[in-house]
Amino acid sequence: MEILNLEGTEDTPKIILDKKNGIFEISGRSLPEDSAEFYRPVLEWIGNYGADPNPTTDFVFKLEYFNTASSKLILDVLSALEDIKNMKILWYYHEDDEDMEEAGQEFSELVEIPFEFKTY
Amino acid sequence: MSEEILKALTQLFAIITKQDGGVSANERQYVITFFQTELDQDSLKEYLAQYDEQSGYGKASEGVAKLTSVKESVRVLGICKKINKTLTQKQKVVVLIKLLELVATDKNFSAQRMEIINTVSTVFNIELNEYKLIEDFIITTEPRSLNNPDILIGNNDEKAQPGRLNKHVHIHITGDLVCMRVRSVDMYYVKYAGDESTLMNGFIMQPNRVYLFSHGSTIKTQAGDALYYSDIIADFNEEIKTTKLSFNAIIEEFKFPNGAIGLRDVKVSEGPGKLIGIMGASGAGKTTLLNVMAGLAKPSVGKILINGFDIFEEKEKIHGVIGYVSQDDLLIEELTVYQNLYYNAKLCFAHFTEEQIHRRVMEVLENLGLDQRKDLKVGNPLEKTISGGQRKRLNIALELIREPAILFLDEPTSGLSSRDSENVIDLLKELSLKGKLIFVVIHQPSSDIYKMFDKMIIMDTGGYPAYYGPPVEAVTYFKKSTLQVDSNRGQCETCGNVNPEQIFNIIEAKVVDEYGQPTSKRKITPVQWHDWYRERFRLNKVEDVKEEPPHSLNLPNKIKQAVIFITRDTLSKLSNRQYLLINMLEAPLLALILAFIIKYKSAPGGKEYLFRFNDNFPAFILMSIVVALFMGLTVSAEEIIRDRKILKRESFLNLSWNSYLQSKLTILFTLSAIQTLMFVLIGHLILEVEWRMILPFWIALFSVSCMANVLGLNISSAFNSAVTVYVMIPLLLIPQMILSGLLFRFDKLNDLISTKGKVPLVADFMASRWAYEALAVHSFINNSYEKPYYRYEKIEAQADFRSSFLVDELERKRKFIDDNLDSSDDSVRKEMAKGLEIIRKTIKDDYFKRGLEQVNLETPWTLELYTPSFGKVLEEYLIAYRRFYQEAYNKAVAYREQIIYKKENEEGSTYKLNEYKNKYYNESLADLVKNVSTKNRILEYKGQLIQQINPIFLDPKPSGIWNYRTHFFAPKKYFLGIELSTFAFNLLVIWGMAFVFYITLYFELLRQFVDLFSKVNLPKRK
Repeated sequence: MEILNLEGTEDTPKIILDKKNGIFEISGRSLPEDSAEFYRPVLEWIGNYGADPNPTTDFVFKLEYFNTASSKLILDVLSALEDIKNMKILWYYHEDDEDMEEAGQEFSELVEIPFEFKTY
Repeated sequence: MSEEILKALTQLFAIITKQDGGVSANERQYVITFFQTELDQDSLKEYLAQYDEQSGYGKASEGVAKLTSVKESVRVLGICKKINKTLTQKQKVVVLIKLLELVATDKNFSAQRMEIINTVSTVFNIELNEYKLIEDFIITTEPRSLNNPDILIGNNDEKAQPGRLNKHVHIHITGDLVCMRVRSVDMYYVKYAGDESTLMNGFIMQPNRVYLFSHGSTIKTQAGDALYYSDIIADFNEEIKTTKLSFNAIIEEFKFPNGAIGLRDVKVSEGPGKLIGIMGASGAGKTTLLNVMAGLAKPSVGKILINGFDIFEEKEKIHGVIGYVSQDDLLIEELTVYQNLYYNAKLCFAHFTEEQIHRRVMEVLENLGLDQRKDLKVGNPLEKTISGGQRKRLNIALELIREPAILFLDEPTSGLSSRDSENVIDLLKELSLKGKLIFVVIHQPSSDIYKMFDKMIIMDTGGYPAYYGPPVEAVTYFKKSTLQVDSNRGQCETCGNVNPEQIFNIIEAKVVDEYGQPTSKRKITPVQWHDWYRERFRLNKVEDVKEEPPHSLNLPNKIKQAVIFITRDTLSKLSNRQYLLINMLEAPLLALILAFIIKYKSAPGGKEYLFRFNDNFPAFILMSIVVALFMGLTVSAEEIIRDRKILKRESFLNLSWNSYLQSKLTILFTLSAIQTLMFVLIGHLILEVEWRMILPFWIALFSVSCMANVLGLNISSAFNSAVTVYVMIPLLLIPQMILSGLLFRFDKLNDLISTKGKVPLVADFMASRWAYEALAVHSFINNSYEKPYYRYEKIEAQADFRSSFLVDELERKRKFIDDNLDSSDDSVRKEMAKGLEIIRKTIKDDYFKRGLEQVNLETPWTLELYTPSFGKVLEEYLIAYRRFYQEAYNKAVAYREQIIYKKENEEGSTYKLNEYKNKYYNESLADLVKNVSTKNRILEYKGQLIQQINPIFLDPKPSGIWNYRTHFFAPKKYFLGIELSTFAFNLLVIWGMAFVFYITLYFELLRQFVDLFSKVNLPKRK
């Protein structure tokens, strides 16, 4: 499976999805112009991955900020991950960032995947 | 709205207004106004406190615009998800519009606020285009800048702005009135950008405020123009615009058959896409009006035109256009919900595949919420399997499935729960939006239902129309007419409720006497209301569309129709266990009872049963025929009556009556075939009748039963109740028994009807007599014993009759003439002349004429001709005659004996004459057909000698090709110069009868005849 690797910018997050090496990570800031368009390849990739996943998957979110439109897409990403077996979300937040911690908690209530909260 | 949702909304409001500068006073006010419509004062405070806390109202603004916090973003998602689970799409659109309105109060459309709302819209699954439309509609204060086909602008301009997609209406107004359609949920919103006092439902529209434009709403401009909900819908709706339909009813007067006037001066004129209600006090003529408009009853003066075609005169042009749902159930009770619809659909859509029909049926079932009940049997009201509401909905479904262009419904909501009623009316509304014209008689509608109608026709006692126009207007009209306060408000300010009861309270208001008790006198009579109505309302006549209305039907050909009818009817019969059981058991049981009882052992000396000596066999034949007749009649007598309701509904489809009847006949004939076969099998088995008689018996009984089937259908189509029909059955059966020829001998009937030597004419109308003769003759001639000897016995019998009886009679007559030759007594001479003529005729018809070669037999003999020498010639002829026939007799006997000897003594023969006779021959039947019991073997009747004995051996003389008449038990018959066996001929007669009855059934002659009587009015006592 091809590796999806998007370099982060001021407004878009860095994304690495690498099945072979078991790296699944979205990190940085997410305020893209057209969030639906930006996350489309990600959702497609996950769709393909879901057909033949690794035995276990640890999906890392390490976000500094995301806007409302992105939050909907992140929820879509989480919903897509929901159907994959042995999925775990690692939700990283800066230890001062209470908002991000709570956002992670709210997300964990919206989908049925185990969340693990970590600070950095 | 549930607490949970309200909390969610409060949070949404808070999160949105918190962004970019925080809550403004106006925005907070908007939230308060919203809470006011949903909450009482106490809870309002509580929710407002929550809102203030969450939105940070009153806290010092931090000045700098912050990014939306990620926590709040995710919370918004959470809230929307929650809302998604409980609210309908329509409600979600309402929520979205509330959010946009909130933001619009201070026009603080910052990017972050709009982003949140946009995200909400995405989570609500509202399409982006639609969201953009809604956003533009709410945000803009310049309606003319809008450009969308789902926008309608009403202003003073003569024409729409060029180059824009917007729709346009010309009204007298300053500023612009904008209407938006949210297509996915079929909701309409309006707002007014201008400074006049424009009223919506009687309340002033605030400039630039968005209003939900609900069913039945009206907008009135200051200049007095009115925009009705239905008009605006029609402007948006392409389907309505393209449907070519006009309905014009001008009913000047409608009289009931008893002379009472049912309707006066009712004019209705409508185009496509309307849902019209008909209301009125009971007895005001609502149903009558509906029936007249639907073409079920013809107005005494007036006409009904659909697209200019008179529905009574040009039926074929409008076939299938009208649909009618009566108040009664028109269901086939033995079939399931699905089957009821399925067969109906099959009859309507010949061009559909099975798959398409299935889909169509399921679609309608789902629309009416019956899909879960589809495999339940409908059942009758006493033996319920589906509820009353479901029955009602199924009735409607049966008409809806073919989507007729004009639909009439008589109280479709009566007996339904308010939820069900609303569903039904919603469905009708939806249909009307597809371009159908729908008339509904409605009783006590709820406010919501009432407002859904495009127009309301209000009838007053005596068939006077009191109002015809937009429903909510009706309330204001009646209020105004009676000078009531607040008369220009048709509905409640806050809840928008209309109270249709008010109308009837006003119409039927009674004069109060000096004690304050209402009297029976009305304040305003129906005539006065009618006059006012005529003064104030002008009918906007819809132009007749001059083209055939849209047909939704595609009828299958007649054969296919018949096949569908047969399948449907068979299924319904098969599912009726009782019916099936009784009909299948009836024949074998009757056969068993009858045959068992009459199995009579009268063999001389012997103890065993011999068929030969069963005296009851002739009676058994008659009883078999009676049973066949009876079963045939009873099984068919109720058929059409039971279907009448369904036929009434299907009459709008113009299905083939012939196909229907043929389907009935196919089923009934099959049933008759089975029943008669079982009867014959069991009867013959018990009575030990030989096997070769089974087929002829079955054919004869089957024919009789079929004839009875057709006859039964005739009475079934002619009378209105099953009871009448069952009373008719003995009336038809008893004469069949009387005139069957067995119970009462044909030569011993009343002189008025009997003819000597022939079967009386009245008896020829009885199938029983034909069947009886056929069976008796056939069983005598063709049984295994008699068959080889019949020819010889016939010669023996005829020769014996001539040599021993006929010749004596002739000689006696000759002697009488001889003796009185010189007499001059007139009466004696008359007697002599008569005798002489009888002698001539008898000889003329006889084979033996030797010795009379010189005498002319063709012309009548007179007494002048009779000389003593002529007497001598005649005497000698008669002697030779006797000798000739004696010899013929002897020869025939000898020949027969020879055959018997041969048969018995053949190599390996097991033939024993007596055994055969015991087994196959029935003495009693033989006595009957040989008429041995008669006292007079010869009868003189109308100048002829008639042979009374041995009718079975006497061939009839063919006379004229049309003359079919013979004596009873004649062995063969002639018709049209063709010789036929009695069995074949008689069966042909029975089938001929069945055919004639089919013709009368097809043209419903009996029904017309019966109707003729019902039209005669009995004088009434006053």
